[in-house]
Amino acid sequence: MRLLRFTGFTLLEYLRSGRVAIEIIAVMATYFVFLRRPMDAEYFFSVAGIFTPVLTLYTMAAFIGLGDRPQGYVLLSRGVGRATFLLGIFLAACTIVAGAYGLLCLTVALLNRPIDLDLLGWLLGTLPLLLNIGLLAALMLMLSPLVFPTSWRLVVLGLIALAFSSNFIGGTLLQALPETLRSLLRALQALLGGPLVPAFYGFQLAVTRDYSTPTAYANLLAQASLLVSLLGLALYAFSRRDLIFSSQ
Amino acid sequence: MTDVIEITELHKNYSELQVLQGLSLRVAAGEVYGLLGPNGVGKSTLIHLMLGFLRPSRGRLRIFGDSNLERVRARVGYIPERQRYHTRYTPREYLRFLGSFSGLAGADLHERVERELATVGLRDAAERNLGTFSKGMLQRLGVAQALLTDPDLLLIDEPTSGLDPAGQREVIELLAAVRDRGHTVFLCTHYLHEVELLCDRVGVLAGGRITTEAQVADLRDVAGSVRVQVGALSLEQRRHLEALGVGVRADAQSVRINPNTPALQAAVLRALLDAGVAILALEPLESPLERLYLQAISGKLAVAEPTVLPPAAWAAPFKSAPAAATSSTDAPSGEGDTLLNELLGRTDGQEAGGRRQDAE
Repeated sequence: MRLLRFTGFTLLEYLRSGRVAIEIIAVMATYFVFLRRPMDAEYFFSVAGIFTPVLTLYTMAAFIGLGDRPQGYVLLSRGVGRATFLLGIFLAACTIVAGAYGLLCLTVALLNRPIDLDLLGWLLGTLPLLLNIGLLAALMLMLSPLVFPTSWRLVVLGLIALAFSSNFIGGTLLQALPETLRSLLRALQALLGGPLVPAFYGFQLAVTRDYSTPTAYANLLAQASLLVSLLGLALYAFSRRDLIFSSQ
Repeated sequence: MTDVIEITELHKNYSELQVLQGLSLRVAAGEVYGLLGPNGVGKSTLIHLMLGFLRPSRGRLRIFGDSNLERVRARVGYIPERQRYHTRYTPREYLRFLGSFSGLAGADLHERVERELATVGLRDAAERNLGTFSKGMLQRLGVAQALLTDPDLLLIDEPTSGLDPAGQREVIELLAAVRDRGHTVFLCTHYLHEVELLCDRVGVLAGGRITTEAQVADLRDVAGSVRVQVGALSLEQRRHLEALGVGVRADAQSVRINPNTPALQAAVLRALLDAGVAILALEPLESPLERLYLQAISGKLAVAEPTVLPPAAWAAPFKSAPAAATSSTDAPSGEGDTLLNELLGRTDGQEAGGRRQDAE
């Protein structure tokens, strides 16, 4: 209950600040630029699958900024525990992004409905998409100055870069590396890229809405598990660190 | 009395920077403790450690006998140094939210919010946006939010920092009223007059530890030097006053006593009364607290264990005043206060009457 109250408090502040106009403008711009043409469900979810992570990057950054202020000391001294504080920020940001996605869907439903999309199809496409929003928001929260010290942030970002390194270390460059280093790099890419699979497959699932195989359900479970793991790690790190908010 | 705050050998480091270095401190229930120290010495760090925002590097910290500070937080009110609040809300909304976070609800929440708005004088501004508030008003809001749950312990960090003189006065008057509610109060400040006005006991933080502690009442007893403002003094009256002690210097409109003792002060006041001279004011020129503070932060009182100074320790320098200063009267210590009360028309009863007779 306290978590819901704190989430409401954070949301209300965000709405009153007028910053939500950015999300509304982003929705309108996306609709007018990409979604006014005749389209099918696959195209709609492809656009929505890119729109929502980009919006999550902006909105989560804005909420992390709201949380990382000296105002937080009073809240934390008044019964808002550290876990509630962090989860409240996460939930408020996710609510805004999910709301923006909802607004986009509503606009599309009213003005230019995809020819092959019914309510069930919309729900099936939306579920992995929302989980991806949560995943990205949790990752950003974990990598924010609120939660991880700079050294840890650099380590995690380095690991993520290593996981994606197959995109830019390949071909002749990879061949030029010694055999041992090449094997090690491939192993690390496979190992570190593993946690990214549910997010990418989640995007694919949203576009195809193909739930005919158990893999689809397993992926939803993997997305949810990864989300819980990231949040758990963020909460653990936040609970143990010295709280020194930015003095904006 | 039970100790509300118990700190033993507390250390806090930020990487290589050692802020607190073996700080030990105890504050009893109902006590108002003032922690003095220059800016950047670690006062706010100590409060943040007590609130559990920071983790000690070493040492023991207990609030209400519990080292799990999350568990006791509901019994603690905190007034932060910086008046940073969520400015998109009105004070009423903001207090209602904070109250609900603390587990208050319904009529109880409503009643407490209205009560504290009235206590800090913000009822008329209760529907204004916090963004329009002055620093003084925001600090009053800070007091209101801290009192909302009627906490047993109040942690106050530099309450008048950044306020203009009028704002400072407002907040001090407010805190003086709050003090009378009987909370245990831990006040960090670098303003000596706040400690003199509000605190029972004072400690000076220097070099990462409490170097000196004293009862404020003891420090109030004797001002190191005072000036008595008078209507007018003739040359003969000035000579007579200066003959009372080598520390007495008089001009046409004032008498300075330095070093001051209760006995010498009483003798001067009595002489002025006897001569029918109008006494306009008695002002301390240097407070013992100021002397204590300056000596502590300059390292002159820095010792392994905090120096707890009894009244005698502070009277000592003044007792070493020339014999002529004390031989002119046999008035006991404290009689100066009685005489002052007499001047102000505040004494009555047998004891005061007896003293008047003695003086005659």
